[in-house]
Amino acid sequence: MKRWWRAAARAKLLVYVAVVALLAAAPALLEPYTLNLVTLAYLMMAGAVGWNWMGGFVGQVSFGHAALFGVGGFVAAHVLSSSSLPSPVAWLVGGLAAGSFALGARPTLRLRGPYFTIASIGLGEASRLVFTYWDWFTGGASGLSLPLMRESKQELYFWGLGLAATAAAISMLIRRSALGLELLAIRADVDAAGDVGISAPSLQTRMLFLSGAVVGVSGGLYASFFGFIEPNDMFGFDRSVAFVLMAVIGGLGTVHGPALGAVVFVLVQQSLLASYPELYLGLYGSLLIAIILFEPLGLSGLGLRLGRRIDARWLEPRRAAATAARQAGSP
Amino acid sequence: MAQVFDLVLSAVLLAGLYAMMAYGLGLIYGVLRVVNLAHGGVIMCGAYLGWVLHERLGLDPYLALPLVMAVTFGFGVFLYRVLVCHLPRGAAGGPASLLLLFGVWLVLRNAAYLLFTANDQVIRTSYSTHSLPFFGTFLSVNRLAVLGLALVIPLALQLFLSRTYLGKAIRAVAQNADSCTLVGVDVERVYAITFGLGTALAGAAGLLSATLFSFNPAFGAGELLKSFVVVVLGGLGSVLGTSVAALILALVEVFAILVLPSYLTSAVGFVMLVLVLVLRPGGLFGRPVLG
Repeated sequence: MKRWWRAAARAKLLVYVAVVALLAAAPALLEPYTLNLVTLAYLMMAGAVGWNWMGGFVGQVSFGHAALFGVGGFVAAHVLSSSSLPSPVAWLVGGLAAGSFALGARPTLRLRGPYFTIASIGLGEASRLVFTYWDWFTGGASGLSLPLMRESKQELYFWGLGLAATAAAISMLIRRSALGLELLAIRADVDAAGDVGISAPSLQTRMLFLSGAVVGVSGGLYASFFGFIEPNDMFGFDRSVAFVLMAVIGGLGTVHGPALGAVVFVLVQQSLLASYPELYLGLYGSLLIAIILFEPLGLSGLGLRLGRRIDARWLEPRRAAATAARQAGSP
Repeated sequence: MAQVFDLVLSAVLLAGLYAMMAYGLGLIYGVLRVVNLAHGGVIMCGAYLGWVLHERLGLDPYLALPLVMAVTFGFGVFLYRVLVCHLPRGAAGGPASLLLLFGVWLVLRNAAYLLFTANDQVIRTSYSTHSLPFFGTFLSVNRLAVLGLALVIPLALQLFLSRTYLGKAIRAVAQNADSCTLVGVDVERVYAITFGLGTALAGAAGLLSATLFSFNPAFGAGELLKSFVVVVLGGLGSVLGTSVAALILALVEVFAILVLPSYLTSAVGFVMLVLVLVLRPGGLFGRPVLG
C-alpha cells in the first residue's frame, strides 16, 4: 500500500513537472493576445490558490482578500518606481507587506464561520476607503502609473508561470504534510483539534500570512503587467468576490481546484463577458447557487464523480474479472 | 451646542431604520442559524418596488408599504422553499449558506441593473421636503414617519412572536427544533415563515430608506453590514436591545462627521463592525449571538 502511495506521488510529481515544462514552452507558439490572457490567468491562479489556503484549508471564508492584493500591488509599484531594485525583489517586498498587513486581521481569526466572513467584508471595505483616501500612496481615485515597462510581456509570462507553479507546489506540499492534516482537523472542528494539541491560533496565523503574501505577490505582478493600478479596482469588493468565485468554481479546499477555477474564471471573463457585460453578476451568482446546491466541491467534485463513474463502469468489472480468473486458476 | 442637538436628532431618526433592518437579519439568524447575505439585496428590491409603485401607479410609498412587505414575504418563503431548505445546517453548512445567499444577492443586483439601469433613483413625494419646527430646529416629516413606522413594525412583530400561536412556535423552534418536531410543530413551515418575515422586514426597510436616500442596484451592501453590527451589539430577540444598538451605531456614524473627512465617514461603520465582533462578540446586554 505504501509503495503504491509513493508511486502515485511520483506520478503526480511527473505530471506536475510535465505540465509546467509544457507551459514554459508555450510562448513560442502563442499569439501576444493569448499570451497576455494566459499570464493574467497565472496571476489569478496564484491569487485563488492563496485565497484557498485561508478559505479552503483553514475554513475561514474571506470576502476581503482584495485588500491584500491591493497592498501588494501598491507597495510593489512604489518600490519599482522609486528604486532600481530588480522587479522580483519589488514583488517580494509587496508580498511581504501584504502578508504583514494580513496579520493585522489576526484578532478576527477567533471568529468562526459567518462572523469571520462578515468581519472580512468590513476590513476589506474599510481598507478600500482608507487607501483610496490616502492619495499620496495610491494616487486616490485616479490611480498610479508605473514609470515604464521593465519586463517584456514574455518575461512576465515566465514570472507569472513561476508564481502560479510555486503556489500550486506549496498547496500540494501543505496537503501532504502534517500541517495539512492539522489544518483539516481545525476545519472539521476547532475545539476537538485543540483537545488533541493542535494550536489553531498559531497555525491559522501562519496560513493567514502565507495567504496574504502570495496574494500580495500576485498583486505586485499584476501592477507590473498592467503598468497602471487604481485603488478602486485593486481593493474593490468585486476583486475579493473574484477570489471566492475562482476557488468555489474549482473546488473549495481542494489542492488543484482553485487553479482550475481561475482558468475558467478568466476564460469566462474574456470570452463571454466581453460580449455580455451586463450579465456577469447574474452569471456568477447563478453559478454560485448551482455549485453550492448540486456540487459543493465544484469542478473538482465533478471530476471525482466522473472518475468514480468511469471506475464503476469500466475498471471495476475488469478488476472483478481478473480476480475471478485468478481464483479460477488457483482453486 | 445647537449642532450637537441637531446631530443627536438626526441620529435618532436614522436609528429607527437601522433597528428595522437589523431585526429582520436577527430574526432569520436566531431561528435558522443562517446569515442571510441576501438581506442587502432584498433591501435594494424593497426600494425599487416602492419606486416602481410610486412612479408607475402613483402609489404613495407609505401606502405601498403593506404591498411591498407582502411581496418580499412571498419572496422570502420562495427563497427558503427553493434554495435554503436544501442546505446543510449547523457548523458543517457554514460557508455553504453564506455563498448560496451571496449568489442570490448577485442575481438580484444583476436583475436590478437590467430592469432599472445603474442610475441613482429616489422616491420623491409632494411632502418630501416638508418639515416641522422642533425646539429651534426642523424635523423632516418623512424622517419622522420613517422613525414612527420603524418603531411600530418591530413592536408589532414582537407582539406577534409573544402572543400568537404561530409566534410561539417560531420562538420554540429557535430554542430547540428537534423537540418541536417531537411535539408536532411543522418545523419546515415555521422556517419558511420566519425567512419570509425576515425578508419582509428587509423589504420594508428598503422602501423606507428609498424615501430618504438615493439608491441604485448596488444599494444594500452597507445596510447589510450595519444590520450585522446592530444584531451583534444588541443581541437576538429583543426590540429594546436592537433599538439601543441601532442608536449607538447611528450616533457613532453621525458624530464621525465632526472628526473625520467626509470621504471616510462611510468607513466608520465597517471599522465598528470589526471592533464589535472582536471586542464585544457577546453583545452589550449579555444575550450573546455568537457561539
